[in-house]
Amino acid sequence: MALFRRKKAETAPQEVVHGIPMADVPLRTPVTVCGKVTRMRTRPAHGVPALVVTLRDETGFVTAIWTGRRSIGGIALGRTICLAGVCTKASDGATFMNPEYTLIK
Amino acid sequence: MKIVIAGAGSVGRYMAKQLAASGHSIVVIDNDASAVSRLQNTDTITSLQGDACEVDVLTAAGAADADVVAAVTGDDEDNLVISLLSKQEFGVPRVVARVNNPNNEWMYNEMWGVDVSVSTPHLLTGLVEEAVTEGSLVRLMAFDHGKSGLNEVTLADGSPAINQTIGSLQLPREATVVAVIRDGHVVAPALDTVLHAHDEVMVLSSGDCENAIRTALIGTN
Repeated sequence: MALFRRKKAETAPQEVVHGIPMADVPLRTPVTVCGKVTRMRTRPAHGVPALVVTLRDETGFVTAIWTGRRSIGGIALGRTICLAGVCTKASDGATFMNPEYTLIK
Repeated sequence: MKIVIAGAGSVGRYMAKQLAASGHSIVVIDNDASAVSRLQNTDTITSLQGDACEVDVLTAAGAADADVVAAVTGDDEDNLVISLLSKQEFGVPRVVARVNNPNNEWMYNEMWGVDVSVSTPHLLTGLVEEAVTEGSLVRLMAFDHGKSGLNEVTLADGSPAINQTIGSLQLPREATVVAVIRDGHVVAPALDTVLHAHDEVMVLSSGDCENAIRTALIGTN
């Protein structure tokens, strides 16, 4: 089902994944960004847990929200990951909802 | 505005016609060919046969640049999937979803990509309450994720607000009187408008200030 196709975590590919600078993330267009996890928290929203992760690069930050999860294997503070998905403007800046992710290091 | 409506039942078709009449550009999606055929394509309404729970169909409908997606099928599961996909895959700024079974309403929230949910049973309950009660606060509608709302109070005989001006009511800062309905006519509220018994007072409020509104318009007992 399309909904869940993004659950799989891929191992880092040999070639480097190129993201765009977070300061330039366009809204409502499929994009890839890469950065370091600087903040992780779980947010109980409406009785459902959600994992909220802040990613930073030299230019800025983005927020990723994975609904229905408290943790994701491989995503921890200090890790570098890439996110692919569609960004929307939320109260805490550019936000991806349930993005596809790639663990880099 | 560009609006995508999922569900070409009576609700979806009616919405499409009304919104097209106000100058919006509409795409209606439905799985059922006969429902789609009942809707005539015009300059502003395009119909599309397909399963709106599929990303490809939503892409074909133009969800990527839609301002609003309205999931108004008769199936709550479908409405939730359409809402989630619209938000997650297309970043649609405003997702409106229809609640069919009120037991499912708890799921219609931002976790499922829903910005605004509309539940006919709840609306009906509110309207019935409004019709039968005098001297109590009735929430007619909620918006901004339930943080703001439109409330109505019909002033009963013992209300402390009777013969008071709107300016002298002790309403909280987060609440304001937006209209008074007196004998079936709308009275535009001014600070010196004097309230009468049996007036219907419409109060727009944000945050949790219902108790303060009750105290001002209904009294403590």
